[in-house]
Amino acid sequence: MTNAADAITAEGLVKRFGDRRVVDGVDLIVPQGAIYGVLGPNGAGKTTTLRMLLGIIEPDAGARTLLGRAHPRDASDEVGYLPEERGLYPAMKAKEAIAFMGALRGLDWRTGRARAVEMLEAAGLGHAVDEKIRKLSKGMAQLVQLLGSVVHQPRLIVLDEPFSGLDPVNQERLERLILAERDRGATILFSTHVMAHAQRLCDRLAIIARGRRRFEGTVDEARGLLPQQVHYVPHHGGTGLSALLPPDARESGDGWRFTLPGEGIEQLLTRLIAAGHGISGLSIERPGLHEAFVRVVEQADAEAGGAR
Amino acid sequence: MTPLRRQWRQTLTIARRDFVATVFTPIFLLFLFAPLIMASFGAIGGMGAASVSAGSTDKARLVLLLDAEEAAAVRVADAQLRPLFSGEARPPELEVRAPETDTGRQARTALDDSRVDVPAVMRGPLAHPAIVYAAGSRDGARYLAALADRAVLGLAAGDAVRSTARIERIVTTAPSQGGRKASAFFAVFGIFFLTLFLSGQVVGTMAEERNNKVIEVLAAAVPLESVFLGKLLGMFGVAVLFVAFWGTIVAQGTQFLPADVASGLRQVVPAVGYGWFALLFAAYFTTAYLLLGSVFLGVGAQASTMREIQMLSLPITIVQVAMFALASAAASKPGTWVATLAEVFPLSSPFAMAGHAANSPALWPHAAALAWQLLWVAIFITVGARLFRRGVLQSGSANPLWKRLLRRTETLPH
Repeated sequence: MTNAADAITAEGLVKRFGDRRVVDGVDLIVPQGAIYGVLGPNGAGKTTTLRMLLGIIEPDAGARTLLGRAHPRDASDEVGYLPEERGLYPAMKAKEAIAFMGALRGLDWRTGRARAVEMLEAAGLGHAVDEKIRKLSKGMAQLVQLLGSVVHQPRLIVLDEPFSGLDPVNQERLERLILAERDRGATILFSTHVMAHAQRLCDRLAIIARGRRRFEGTVDEARGLLPQQVHYVPHHGGTGLSALLPPDARESGDGWRFTLPGEGIEQLLTRLIAAGHGISGLSIERPGLHEAFVRVVEQADAEAGGAR
Repeated sequence: MTPLRRQWRQTLTIARRDFVATVFTPIFLLFLFAPLIMASFGAIGGMGAASVSAGSTDKARLVLLLDAEEAAAVRVADAQLRPLFSGEARPPELEVRAPETDTGRQARTALDDSRVDVPAVMRGPLAHPAIVYAAGSRDGARYLAALADRAVLGLAAGDAVRSTARIERIVTTAPSQGGRKASAFFAVFGIFFLTLFLSGQVVGTMAEERNNKVIEVLAAAVPLESVFLGKLLGMFGVAVLFVAFWGTIVAQGTQFLPADVASGLRQVVPAVGYGWFALLFAAYFTTAYLLLGSVFLGVGAQASTMREIQMLSLPITIVQVAMFALASAAASKPGTWVATLAEVFPLSSPFAMAGHAANSPALWPHAAALAWQLLWVAIFITVGARLFRRGVLQSGSANPLWKRLLRRTETLPH
């Protein structure tokens, strides 16, 4: 259900390129002030969805609102966007590039330049303020573009694969920047196929596969899609052990892994001890977002295969 | 902020970026001084050609096979007629050779003289001179015929009183029909020359954004129409800078024109007067630039590589020259259907209407023409942006109206 406090709403977005439905009825609701992840494998339709949300391209069907406006263009001064394909004018100085991107979104040049200097210094790029973009490393240029997309202090920040191409240090910086922007009150929507960032940052997320939204919820809810896993290390192995374990049990290192049985673990442990296998180690693990993501995508692939 | 105001601000941001990116580069100096470089090469070439021409004229002679008395009369006639010619039109010097028995053979032999170029030979008597000339030297033969005629008259008149004219230069101010035609041609040619140089510059500007991937950033923040208009205005700013620079230099240069030329220029009075003419010239230069620029920008935006952009330069030049030809025809034949066509057709309208300002004093057609031209600028920009959105950003519907109609037609029962 949508409400006025939602930063983004999308209902039944469809986009075809030729005869291919790249986005096939995607629904999204991004609450204000949230960090929202759009996850999906390569070619899932994440970028096309983001481009439709921002009004860069028009959907063939469906509707969307951005910060309460029916047409995304009307909210453009309150939105920051980092596209998947990074683009800056190579002959521009870093400071000017940031101010230019702010000017496009309604920030005056003087304020843009002043903020650019502050932001570059805060990001550890004070030495690059007057450097031309062509002289910066790829990672530094990417950071400059990211700063350009938030220099006007937008209410909504859309980042398409923001972590790709960054080294671990800059990935860490970017995570801090995203959290700082959220603390300022901004809503952040970002796409990624790297689960670690999403797991650390996202309040809510959607998994898109084969042009459709396959899951929507919190990270915990996503992880809850899969049953918990048991890692059991017997004191004594030997024949007959595998017959006592659930059918999906598989050897893993010094022990066995299997899905937590529906009736719980106690009965199984009782049987194992009675059979003399004992317990050397036991842990019950929640699956990560990565496993949940893989499961969702595999299901989507299987559905598509079945439909074919 | 109203959407219109926001769009205008975004347009100016794009224009500013393009203007600064173009002007503050060393390459811009090359562009700014291109006319000087072109003029220098032209001057060097012209001097070379003049030197070659003067050298060949010095070595040419018109030969007279006449007795001494007739030859003297011809020389007197030559002294009277030669000042009528100037520069390269001046005939070769005369050379008198004593006539031999067979002057016909002597004349033909003289034409083959290897020491000097002999374009024509005249043999007497002067009452019935015979003139032979080498192929391509008919003017020399005609000049000799005129000299013979004049010399015969001189010999017949003897010492009788000859007419002596007093020649006086008067400065006139009244505009002439010729002056209006000249100002019309000046207007058409001036705008053509400037747009030929300047409007083609916009063809490749969208390629920069496509290659740098900046287009995605722009398209997310700014309507594409604003991107197109901004780029057009940015490059127009560059063009204005160029025109202002060279306009100032040329205006200063007119102070050093010879009095005759300056007086002649005062005869070139456009029908609407100098003040309005200057304003209309500036306005039509602006619309010509925006019209051609918007078409070139829209077409160039579809090209993705420098090679494709370079290939566009030929059709672009052809379009410009065609518009110039149409507008020139209109300027020389005001009031005809050709003139009306040129004034109405959007791409030739600014040129033709500038010529119209020189030929007709009415001002209201210019207000209508400027509005008409600006309407077409808006149309071209809108179409260019839509084509770009559909073709490059792939924003178009996969099932556009024309496809749906086509499909429907195909499935209709026959």
